[in-house]
Amino acid sequence: MKASMLPADLNPFRFAVGKISAALMCLGSGLSVAEEAVKAPEHPGAAIYRRMCVDCHGKQGEGVAGKYDDTLSGNRSVSGLARLISKTMPEGKEGTCTGADAEAVASYIYDAFYSPAAQARIRPVQESLSHLTVAQYQNSVADLIGRFRPGFDRPPAQERGLRVWFTGVAVLTPEEEAEYKEKVNEAQKTKKDKPPRKEFKFDRIDSQVAVHFGAESPNPKKMVAEEFRANWAGSVMAPETGLYEFVAKTENGVRVYVNNSKDPIIDAWVSTGAEVRDEKKSLFLIGGRSYRLAVEFLKYKDKSASLELWWKTPHGNLELIPQSRLMPQEVRPNMVVTTAIPADDRSDGYERGTSVSKEWEQATTAIAIEVSDHVDADLDGLAGTKPGAPDRLEKLKNFSRRFAETAFRRPLSEDQKAGIVDRAFEKAPTPGLAVKRVVLHTLKSPQFIYPELSSGEKVDDFTVASRLALTLWDSIPDAALTKAASEGRLKTREQLEKEVKRMVADQRCKAKLNGFFQVWLDLEKAEHASKDASLYPEFTEEVRADLRQSLALFLDEVVWGEKSDYRQLLQADYLWLNDRLSRVYGKPVEGASFQKVSMAEEHRSGVLTHPYLLSAFAYSRTSSPIHRGVFLSRSIVGVNLKNPSIAAAFEDAKFDPSLTMREKVTSVTKNASCAGCHSVINPLGFTLEHFDSLGRWRTEDNHKPVDSVVDFDGEEGGVVKFSGAVDVANHAVKSAHAHEAFVRQLFHYVVKQPPGAFGSETLERLKSDFAANEFNIRKLLGRVVLTKVMDGMTPESPKVAGAN
Amino acid sequence: MNHLNRREFLRNLGVSAAALPFLTGLPSLTGADVSPRRKRLVIMFSPNGTLPKEFWPDEEGENFQFKPILDALGPFKAQTMILQGVFNKIKGDGDQHMRGMSCLLTANGLLPGNVMGGGGAPAGWASSISIDQEIKKFFQTRSETRTRFGSLEFGVAVPNRADPWTRMSYLGPNQPVAPLDDPYGMFSKLYGQMKDKESLLSILDDVKEDLRKVSAKLSTHDKQLLEQHASLVRSFESELKAPPDKSIQHPMPPLDPGIELVNDNTPKISRMQINLLVNALANDMARVATLQYMRSVGGAQMRWLGVEEGHHGLSHDPDDNKDSYAKLLKINQWFAGEFAYMAQRLSETPEPFGTGSMLDNTLLIWTNELGKGNSHTLDNIPLVMIGGGADFKMGRSLKLDKVAHNRLWLSVAQGLGHHELASFGQADLCAEGPLPLG
Repeated sequence: MKASMLPADLNPFRFAVGKISAALMCLGSGLSVAEEAVKAPEHPGAAIYRRMCVDCHGKQGEGVAGKYDDTLSGNRSVSGLARLISKTMPEGKEGTCTGADAEAVASYIYDAFYSPAAQARIRPVQESLSHLTVAQYQNSVADLIGRFRPGFDRPPAQERGLRVWFTGVAVLTPEEEAEYKEKVNEAQKTKKDKPPRKEFKFDRIDSQVAVHFGAESPNPKKMVAEEFRANWAGSVMAPETGLYEFVAKTENGVRVYVNNSKDPIIDAWVSTGAEVRDEKKSLFLIGGRSYRLAVEFLKYKDKSASLELWWKTPHGNLELIPQSRLMPQEVRPNMVVTTAIPADDRSDGYERGTSVSKEWEQATTAIAIEVSDHVDADLDGLAGTKPGAPDRLEKLKNFSRRFAETAFRRPLSEDQKAGIVDRAFEKAPTPGLAVKRVVLHTLKSPQFIYPELSSGEKVDDFTVASRLALTLWDSIPDAALTKAASEGRLKTREQLEKEVKRMVADQRCKAKLNGFFQVWLDLEKAEHASKDASLYPEFTEEVRADLRQSLALFLDEVVWGEKSDYRQLLQADYLWLNDRLSRVYGKPVEGASFQKVSMAEEHRSGVLTHPYLLSAFAYSRTSSPIHRGVFLSRSIVGVNLKNPSIAAAFEDAKFDPSLTMREKVTSVTKNASCAGCHSVINPLGFTLEHFDSLGRWRTEDNHKPVDSVVDFDGEEGGVVKFSGAVDVANHAVKSAHAHEAFVRQLFHYVVKQPPGAFGSETLERLKSDFAANEFNIRKLLGRVVLTKVMDGMTPESPKVAGAN
Repeated sequence: MNHLNRREFLRNLGVSAAALPFLTGLPSLTGADVSPRRKRLVIMFSPNGTLPKEFWPDEEGENFQFKPILDALGPFKAQTMILQGVFNKIKGDGDQHMRGMSCLLTANGLLPGNVMGGGGAPAGWASSISIDQEIKKFFQTRSETRTRFGSLEFGVAVPNRADPWTRMSYLGPNQPVAPLDDPYGMFSKLYGQMKDKESLLSILDDVKEDLRKVSAKLSTHDKQLLEQHASLVRSFESELKAPPDKSIQHPMPPLDPGIELVNDNTPKISRMQINLLVNALANDMARVATLQYMRSVGGAQMRWLGVEEGHHGLSHDPDDNKDSYAKLLKINQWFAGEFAYMAQRLSETPEPFGTGSMLDNTLLIWTNELGKGNSHTLDNIPLVMIGGGADFKMGRSLKLDKVAHNRLWLSVAQGLGHHELASFGQADLCAEGPLPLG
């Protein structure tokens, strides 16, 4: 029996459960006697439940091992539950619990344990202690070290591009030439060194590093072509975390520095003939940060001169580093941890730091060592002293204390200062080694690793600062936030909102929110989508990377635009396309740059029909209504799905070859045990059948007209008719379930705790706030953050609940 | 030699038992040794030519006297070979220093490029593999000679720049190999986080105590996480304290903490690097190593010898400038002393899993990019070898007849077992085959 048609590696559910249990199975038909008397008046549905359901689902819907393992809970309405029970329950005896009986059972289980409110009552959720996640480690360490580099926190300027200085030998006038020759002769007579040639210099801002001088100099009238140098300097912004490949293309000498000024990542100063070389180097960068970028260029007696600086961002295409990522402003180095940290626990459906392992412990040790080496290498610079300075020891001690305070996100207690700082300086053979030990000790301490443990019994301004930084930036507080905390300026809601506003505008917040979209839209899957090359030769790596860029531009525009409107994400009828994509998706676009192209006639609708997602949720040769339906159910429409009972491969070859995809999927999931979930998944998936495996518009599937019209059991007001993606999106923007799914997933990603841990009404409140604020995503983010930040604040603080 | 003896021996050398590492998991250190004999090569470089009269013995053959520069090699006379008459005959682009350096171990011309020297046409990198890398490549292709690193490139006071004056090792055309002149960096490369063992041990008690304290405030569920964490810390600690693995031959040498990588610390850095080099060879992490002092045209100010002027500047002075001459003698004697120290360390270290000392199985070569500083000649480049690694007949002073250095490198490769190599570097200069040194 195939309850789910997904190959194991594509299965969107977390895991497949036992062999026997099937969705909402209820085999028990005998009378099972309740062990405890239910207080009168008993719900009429309770007796039916005991008789027909309890054997498989347990007394409180908790499930029965080997029969139906999962908890009965979700967000269907009472009437939706009743319809489902009528159709599919009890398994094997479908049709024996219908009409009024089904309605009674549905009504009973809804209030007893099924509904979210009931779940919150009988199984209250709590916050779990969490250590720093991978991203939180990387960011915290970068900002911890950055704190000791003055100017590190300076916000990026608006100007884009890099400043370049050209230096060479001046072209002389005939008079100057004669004068120079005379000086040379004189020098020869007196056996002195040759006098220097007159220099010619100029500087300008370049939008990109791309110069082609041929045999000329950068200024043929004023600078000699034989020998000249150029230095570009500024910074480069990494939009996301990952491996960046830098490529310098030149036939001359070049050095490229990224994130430091001492060791070039590319050192190709020595040219080797007239051929343009590709000098490459890959570097791991943390997203949402700017890195110092400097390029040194030398032309000496080479026949020609040119230089281009390209990069390949994570999962992106090789491109000239675009102007939008370059800034003439110079920045301080970032400490980028190179230790690989084991991936975070995802067993709750989102990444959080709730488990430890030997590998994790080793990684935290390796990070501590890496950081201590980094500190050691720049000790005097970070501590603001010099070798041999009379107050060096004092400065090093002071640095050590401030380092631990910054890492712990609050001032040290006297005990901590004595135990961590003073003792290290007493025992270590040299002050430098003492600092190293303080760094190791600090980074291995639970107060650094578990941010919530750093607080005392009560929530104070430092707790608030720590939570703000962790939720908005995945990092530690910056200097401004720490200052606000120490001055007691993080007490009122107004003060907190002001901080949130400032912090949301920071690139680190942008990087964090990008991470959320990765999860919400399941983009990890898209990075590995591959197509049958014989069928779709046009779907190249480049096209895939362009699609990713197209989606990123769309998300960026909507989320960071004035309205930040969630509905726009679902309903926009255009795509960002460049020429390469336009050739695949049949729209004329000129040039490599991306433009907005209306796709209204293809009935496209925001992320629902973005080809990056459509092609990811598809097989290599065909569409996949099941993958697409699961995505729409969970992320867009907001229907909870259970894990499939059996994970099975969709074997295309086993079907009658004349069938359409819709017919195949319908046939393979027609069994009643599948219907529980597939009655939701299939119709939603079918609404996207106008899009093929690449996400291109089509009117036929397998030589038959596409049928994308479905009846969807909306749960909120009965069955509705959808004829395509636009209808689904229009439904979702008005649906409380859809809003809740979005809010919940954002909450999980940002706070890394379940919303219920902050009061059972949390989700409801955030959801109605969201609607009241015109579905502004950035405002929602602020509300989510404050929910966590203000949790447990002292009574004189404003109330959390209901605050607006 | 059994383990106890080796420990005693090490203690006699002043190596503290506390510094004994555990080095399990380093592949080349575990498992049975199958090779009958470990042959090794170390090439040491110092720049700016020598003083021929103070360097080359007057005599030829076994009965020779060391000249002042080589005095320090006295104890190793029977294992030493001095080769006069070897010429670097590579012509073409680049100045003498550039070709002296970047053609020294490659024995082949430079590629065209944009680096302008003190004469000749501008040039680029070397055009083919260097002899150390050729032998490393050969060792690494065979399981019985393969080691974790294959080769290690040590530097002492090498300026942080990449050009043909600063690189002598090449993986191939246009692929210079940078020497690592930071002993702490080299230590990390060789021994990873073991270097921080003492520091880690000093804080782990506190970490355990912290975990216990904070966990007292927590719910049962959260406590479990911290208890798990604490048990991981405990097991890490006991691993740190564990006695060294029996397969370890030699402990990592203790490094003085806090030696800054500045000119005046060069003598200390030099010894640290040599100790690390010998140690890495003893632990069979590599069988080929280079040790590069400064760079061609290097202007180190050897104040520790009472010499204020830069080395390169002095090397230009005429022979009759007595003050400069005396200083150059001191400088070259200092290099010889470092070379002798390396020989001494190897001679005192018994061959692991073998017989005799490590020096009996290692060929040490000391060379230079120029024959003479003030003439910039590439004729008669200084070449001294110590040790039994190539099975040459040692204890001799040779006077060769203007032989190309290509032939010497071919002999060295074959002496170390690389018999498939029939020619090295520029082919016409190697036509007469290896020098008969056996």
